[in-house]
Amino acid sequence: MRAQIIPFLFTLASILLTGCGQSKPAPNEAKGGAPPRKYVIGMSQCNLGEPWRVQMNEDVREAAASHPELKVVFKDAQNDTLKQRAHVEEFISSKVDLLIISPKEAQPLTEPVARAIDTGIPVIVLDRAVLGDKYTCFIGADNTKIGRAAGEWIVKKLGGKGKVVELMGLMTSIPGQDRHNGFRQGIAGSDINVIFEADMKWLEPEARQEMESALSRFDHIDLVFAHNDPGAHGAYLAAKAAGRDNILFVGIDALPQEGVAYVQQGILDATFRYPTGGAEAIDTALKIFKGEPVPKKIVLGTRLFDKSNVAAGGAALP
Amino acid sequence: MSNPPIQIDPPAPLVRLTGITKRFGPVTVLRDVQFEGRAGEVHVLAGENGAGKSTLIKILAGIHTDFDGRIEIEGREVRPRSPLDAAALGVAVIHQELSLIGPMSVADNIFLGRTPARAGFVRERSQNEAARHWVGQLGLEIDVRQPVERFPVAARQQIEIAKALSQDARVIVMDEPTSALNAPEVNTLFALIQSLRARGCCIIYITHKMEEIERIADRITVLRDGHWIGTAPAPQLPAAKLIQWMVGRQLGEQFPRRAPHPGAERLRLENFSVFPSGFSSRPAVDNVTFSVRAGEVLGLAGLQGSGASELFLGLFGAYGAATRGQVRLENQEVRIASPRQAIAAGVALLTNDRKATGLVLSLSIAANATLADLPRLSPGGWRRPARERAAAETMTAPMRLRAASMDVEVGALSGGNQQKVALAKWLQTRPRVLLLDEPTRGIDVAAKREIYQLVEQWTAAGIALLLITSEMPELLTLSDRVAVLHRGRLAAEFSHAEAAPEAILAAAMGQSA
Amino acid sequence: MKTSSWKSAAASPAGRALLALLLVIAAGLIFNADGAFFKIGTHRDTLRQASVYGMLACGMTLVIVCGGIDLAVGSMVGLSAVCAAQMAIHWNWPAWQTVPACLAAGALCGAVSGVVTAGLRVQPFIATLSMMVLARGLAKYASGGMKVSTAVRNADGTYHYVEVPPLFRAIDHRVLGGNLSMVTVIFLVCVLLAWLALSKHRWGRYLYAIGGNEEAARLSGVPVIRAKIGAYAASGLFSAVAGLCQAAQEQQGDPEAGGGYELVAIAMVVIGGTSLMGGRGGIGLTLLGVLTIGYLDKILSINAVPEAGRLVLTGIIIVAAVLTQRRSRT
Repeated sequence: MRAQIIPFLFTLASILLTGCGQSKPAPNEAKGGAPPRKYVIGMSQCNLGEPWRVQMNEDVREAAASHPELKVVFKDAQNDTLKQRAHVEEFISSKVDLLIISPKEAQPLTEPVARAIDTGIPVIVLDRAVLGDKYTCFIGADNTKIGRAAGEWIVKKLGGKGKVVELMGLMTSIPGQDRHNGFRQGIAGSDINVIFEADMKWLEPEARQEMESALSRFDHIDLVFAHNDPGAHGAYLAAKAAGRDNILFVGIDALPQEGVAYVQQGILDATFRYPTGGAEAIDTALKIFKGEPVPKKIVLGTRLFDKSNVAAGGAALP
Repeated sequence: MSNPPIQIDPPAPLVRLTGITKRFGPVTVLRDVQFEGRAGEVHVLAGENGAGKSTLIKILAGIHTDFDGRIEIEGREVRPRSPLDAAALGVAVIHQELSLIGPMSVADNIFLGRTPARAGFVRERSQNEAARHWVGQLGLEIDVRQPVERFPVAARQQIEIAKALSQDARVIVMDEPTSALNAPEVNTLFALIQSLRARGCCIIYITHKMEEIERIADRITVLRDGHWIGTAPAPQLPAAKLIQWMVGRQLGEQFPRRAPHPGAERLRLENFSVFPSGFSSRPAVDNVTFSVRAGEVLGLAGLQGSGASELFLGLFGAYGAATRGQVRLENQEVRIASPRQAIAAGVALLTNDRKATGLVLSLSIAANATLADLPRLSPGGWRRPARERAAAETMTAPMRLRAASMDVEVGALSGGNQQKVALAKWLQTRPRVLLLDEPTRGIDVAAKREIYQLVEQWTAAGIALLLITSEMPELLTLSDRVAVLHRGRLAAEFSHAEAAPEAILAAAMGQSA
Repeated sequence: MKTSSWKSAAASPAGRALLALLLVIAAGLIFNADGAFFKIGTHRDTLRQASVYGMLACGMTLVIVCGGIDLAVGSMVGLSAVCAAQMAIHWNWPAWQTVPACLAAGALCGAVSGVVTAGLRVQPFIATLSMMVLARGLAKYASGGMKVSTAVRNADGTYHYVEVPPLFRAIDHRVLGGNLSMVTVIFLVCVLLAWLALSKHRWGRYLYAIGGNEEAARLSGVPVIRAKIGAYAASGLFSAVAGLCQAAQEQQGDPEAGGGYELVAIAMVVIGGTSLMGGRGGIGLTLLGVLTIGYLDKILSINAVPEAGRLVLTGIIIVAAVLTQRRSRT
């Protein structure tokens, strides 16, 4: 019996450590005199295991930092649906002024969100939608649109023809399928030829291996399009090691310290931001507090980062 | 004094075995054995270790199905093909290692194999009621839904008996049932046996304990070396005669007596106790004191439960620090709390089960033979294969080991050759004291003789040997002195001249000479 | 040589592992993807890709031979990658500090697993499963959940970039006229060290004995607990080397690195012919298993076999390989 406690303690300790590392208290600056009114925003994040979600929280935090009347409380559900439900209920009972939620799954979180609406708490849903329409505003990006934008940029860059390798994200996931379909839509009608496609499951080491296979098979590759920046990075390293210097690389996600940094360093030729919606959520929240009308659904545009505009912070695409 | 049997004229037997012969490969374990049990009697089956009692019972219980001979139950010839078959025929066996399943409930255990069910679903309530009924027959009031492992051994034994009754058993075999019971529990058991007897059951009772035989036996059957020696009513077999039947005059093949080489005192145990299950439980070895000289063979005799093997294991440090008392080697006190410390002190142990605890069957002869001495054979940690092979060859040469090369996997060797490899391993450690636990078990006659010759060489080289063996002739021939253990205590010590089979057996069974 | 000795050589574990590898290579010759299989670069890349898994397989062999299993190796790769990146990129530690520190961290994690399973007598599966969760958690904690890369955040939120450390460049580098990856050389060094330990050192003999019959080994004076702790510590050490190589190849420390690698390492050991029960097998067999799975992966990759097909084929081949080993056990 005693011996079974040890692994339990290990597991418990590890969960606590991962939990402790992530949720930091929100900054609480009061500038000058007493602020008019403090609004408390509850932010329910489904997990902080993905860097993109860490970035989402960062975006929320940064956007709120310049508004001293806002206080944001972050809760991380560690990818556990039941935990996220509990967090929503906690926010309801502590009567937050607004709830921002990025749900793990649509179905189980629909009802708690509806209950928040019923008690008068406005709800902004980020990235993954809940079912029905009992929420105030949904903010999300459109992967198909981003894929299409990437395809169109590639067509323009290559002058309408060329040999392209497509390194795909997990094709059993919706983002992977959407980006793939969008990309194919974007290059439709041109002479761009996808000579090699492989599923690299969003992982850099896998992308590197697939790129090595492509390099050994094809002597001429014009451009590599990867569904995410780590994939593009892995492909770039493979090409560099092989001494193939005249290949272009395009990725998606454009996290500031990853994709954008790669463009700045000359590793990638272009990347497209998959926006987190964090800043837009705070903007929308402010509008709600002022009593202004907000749209039911905000589809975020993407931003293109390439050599020409990366210093200027990229260019927004419709 | 046992109660007189209920019937006065010899009635038709409830169970009868005739002409039972059983072989395991080349070894014949039972030869033309007969046995009959009557209704309403307690029939003791007696004999030394290895006499064949367990095998006979297993044949009756349907565990061994390949045998010559005839079994009759109530006059009808039967041939049980499995324990379930035997149970259906009315035979129930209460083994020494109780066959209940710990985590399962009492009721489930009682009806195991005949679980009352409707369309596959267990009828729990009626099963529990029935279980309560049977358990109540024994005067036991327990919650039959509790798992069996919650109950003490005595209660578990009673649950087994309740199970036997529920199977409508007429023949109930009990194999050493009192080995884990204290005195009041033994009394309860015997009262139970009397009530079973009164119901007309035949109780076949296997025991080594003279006091029990004298208390409950109606009749006694004696086996020796797989032969049926005789059956007689208890009053006609007092202790001395019973022992004589068990031991017999022939001592098997005569082996020339070794020349004794006694030297200075090598090993001394004083008030030595071993607690394999921890200091709060009963010790397996209780305050034993004796000594062994260099070049001497001390035979350690004892029946099952005597604690002899545990003494070896405790001395060797296999139980860690769970020992009390003093151990002196060449008059220096030593503390041995692990096998490594034992080897360093010059003590070696040949265990009684070479496959389970003596050899690593997947490794080669050379690997096994050098396993206990690797620190010396590989100074600095790096192995010297040539040195290892040479050591293995040197050690096994005098043993006449038959194998293609030193690289053969030990698992492929015969029993005798395997034992030689194990012995080589221990001789390699240059022991001062060598503990041999059943060194010739499962070995053919030729290999046995070779091992006896080796014993001769080892004593000539000045090693002190302690020997456990269940074969009386071997014990008598090899030992310079014999110490007898009974229930963990030293019951008697004999010099070579004094050592006689009857006296040894009597002491082993708890009789003072 | 007579036919009978050829036959018995082929039936030996090494023979069967070699046969499996040759079959896979034959498949590559046939399905050579427009000649890609014949290029030296393809073989260099196959070895490179398999090397990180192979390092894990070396440590895994030691643990499996003594009768245990180590499920934490993948997580320790992540932890070590994060540590290496943090030390080399952000703290600017020189190689002679970074490398021993990473190895020590890995060995420590492994030793903890060893103490829990050998000393506290927790089943290896459970003990190393707990370490798997713990190490992954530590990796995420130490890295803040993000990859530790050459992009360093400034106070105002922008990023400046530091150089990829020379240690990383040295590891992700090609030698022998560009025909062999440094990572492969490191892997082969790991193979050599593991082989020396298992076949030439007393400790290796102890591990075989413990895996073959732990109680008999104990009663023969083998220091069972110490030997087992050593095996798990060695597994942690090899995982640390793998993590360092992974970080060097990605030029970043990814806390998620190594996810699922433990199963690949186990598959490589099993296909090589080392028995999961312990007591039999060795590093040579594992090397054959590493190559078999490495080449299988590569052949599927250059032929652009879709993901579903790859999973099914790999699964079938692993089962087939294990079954043919069990059939003819001498």
